[in-house]
Parts: sequence; structure tokens; C-alpha cells
Amino acid sequence: MHSKGGDHPAFGRLVLRYQDRIYNLCRYMLRDAEEAQDAAQDVFFKAYGSLKDYNPESSFYTWLYRIAVNTCLDYGKKSRPKPFEDECAIDSLACGQPSPERLYQSKETGRLIEAALQKLPKKLRAAIVLKEIEGFSYEEIAGVLGTSVGTVKSRISRAREELRRLLKKV
Amino acid sequence: MKCSQIRKMISPFVDGELGPDENKVFTSHLAGCPTCRKELEETESVHSLFTSTERLEAPLGFATRVMACIEEREQVSSSFWGFFTHQPVFLRAVEVAFALVIFMIGAISGNMLVVDRISVRQSTVQESFSLDLFQAAPPGSVGGIFGSLAEVPNER
Repeated sequence: MHSKGGDHPAFGRLVLRYQDRIYNLCRYMLRDAEEAQDAAQDVFFKAYGSLKDYNPESSFYTWLYRIAVNTCLDYGKKSRPKPFEDECAIDSLACGQPSPERLYQSKETGRLIEAALQKLPKKLRAAIVLKEIEGFSYEEIAGVLGTSVGTVKSRISRAREELRRLLKKV
Repeated sequence: MKCSQIRKMISPFVDGELGPDENKVFTSHLAGCPTCRKELEETESVHSLFTSTERLEAPLGFATRVMACIEEREQVSSSFWGFFTHQPVFLRAVEVAFALVIFMIGAISGNMLVVDRISVRQSTVQESFSLDLFQAAPPGSVGGIFGSLAEVPNER
């Protein structure tokens, strides 16, 4: 890989290629845009610092996503939970909930999904985001999370059950 | 197959991750089980909600900022002060402790040399003022007269 050993232009091209995907993952894993941006930057700093440890025989994609998921899980530990403006959409019917017609608009649905994802335990959230948002296979998710396919299946099932329960309140 | 086992297959079925044999078992169970069919419908509806999620893009200038930070960090770490501050904390602590030990050894050994030098100097000075080093002054000389005046009466 050309980017090993401090080749800035090559690493810059990698950042350009993966920045949207990594930011997208961070955005759905964390609470807000600012935190997601900080986390996404940290992912690339860590990747640059660990390039010498990257084994070219394995997928760069999986390796980078593993750094991204671990970074987001660490951010979740560090940051104090902030009030999320759309939590009321999940928790209470009294919070000026949109009309049934608006609920079907994709932007509202997207915000509901984001709010519901924040309520999931981090490990379940990581699995379901990698599946539903990033479109990874079970095997790829197992590679990113460093776990077995069986565990991935179980986490995705539990995540969907929990989301069903949360979204039923709406 | 029991419903509890089929329920574990619902998500993999939705994701297209069931093998052909598992698929056959799953679909034939569903044909005769309204409870499991309902579970499948609810799981599929959650899955379909994700098609409404936005694909987000990194903010403008993100890559430029990342590369600028990396370059700045590399410049700092290659400087003298950066060599120190960019090391892990425990390594810095070890270096500081080592420097303190060297300083203490130097201070203690330096102190010992100073004490010896002072005692040598004092004894040398004392010796130099000792009248035993000098021969007795001749009686008629100024020193001899002074010496006789300075004698203690009992010593005579």
C-alpha cells in the first residue's frame, strides 16, 4: 500500500475515498454531528498512526471500520449523555408529535430511527448500523467487530426486537 | 421446528443470510404459524424503515483538516520538545524519575566533596596559625618581646 510510512498524498486519497462512509457510521453511532466529526477525524488519525501494523492481506475496509467502531464505542464511554431533541418523538406522545401523515415522510422516519438507535446498547447499535446503514454482510460485520457470525446474528436480532419495541410507542 | 428456533432465523431470513436448507425449513414453518408470520412482518417493517435513513456526507473540508492536523503533529513530534511531549506518559515519568535520581546522586556526592574540602581547608588554616609550626622568636626581637608579654603567668 502506497500510504504506508508517511506518504501524505496517498493517505489523503484514502481519507477522501472513505471520509463519507466513516462519517456516516460515526453519525449514526454517536449523538450529534460535532461528536461524529471529532470521532471521524480520530479514526483517520489512528489509522495513519497504525498503518505500519496494517496487514495488506486483509481487507483495508474491514480494518478501517474496526478502528471506526472502536473509536465510536470509546466516545460513547467518554461523553456524558446529552439530551437528544428527538427523544421525545420516541418517549412521549405529548411532545408535539407530528401527524400520522408526516410520520410517513422519510425525513421524520429517519430522525425517529436515529433517536431509537441512540437508545440501543452500544454493541447492538454497532451491529445494526453496520448491517442496515452500511450494508455489510454478517461475515463482514463479524470481521469488523472481532466476533463470530453467530454473535452477529444474535445482536442484530436483539437490536431489531428492541427497535420494534421502541418504535411501537410512536 | 419449534417457534423459538424459527424466531432466531427471522433476522437472517430478512437479511438473506439463510442457506437453502434453512430457508426451506423456515418458509414451511411460516406457512402454518401465524405467530411467527406476524413476527416476520414486524421485523421486515423495522428493516424497511432503514431505507428512509439519509446517507450522510462528511462536512466540507474534512479531508483537508485531517491532513493538516496530521502534518502539524508530525512537525511537532520531530522537534526537540515534541520528542518529549509526544511520548507516552509513563515513558516521560520514567525519564523524569531517572533525571531526578542522577541529580540526587550528583548533589549528594558534590555535597560530600564540599564538606571534605571545608574540613581540609579549616585544618590547613588552623595549622597555618599554629605557633607550633614556627620556631620560637629570638628573645630580643619584637616577636620575642610580644611572646613574653602574651605568656600566661602560670606557664612561666
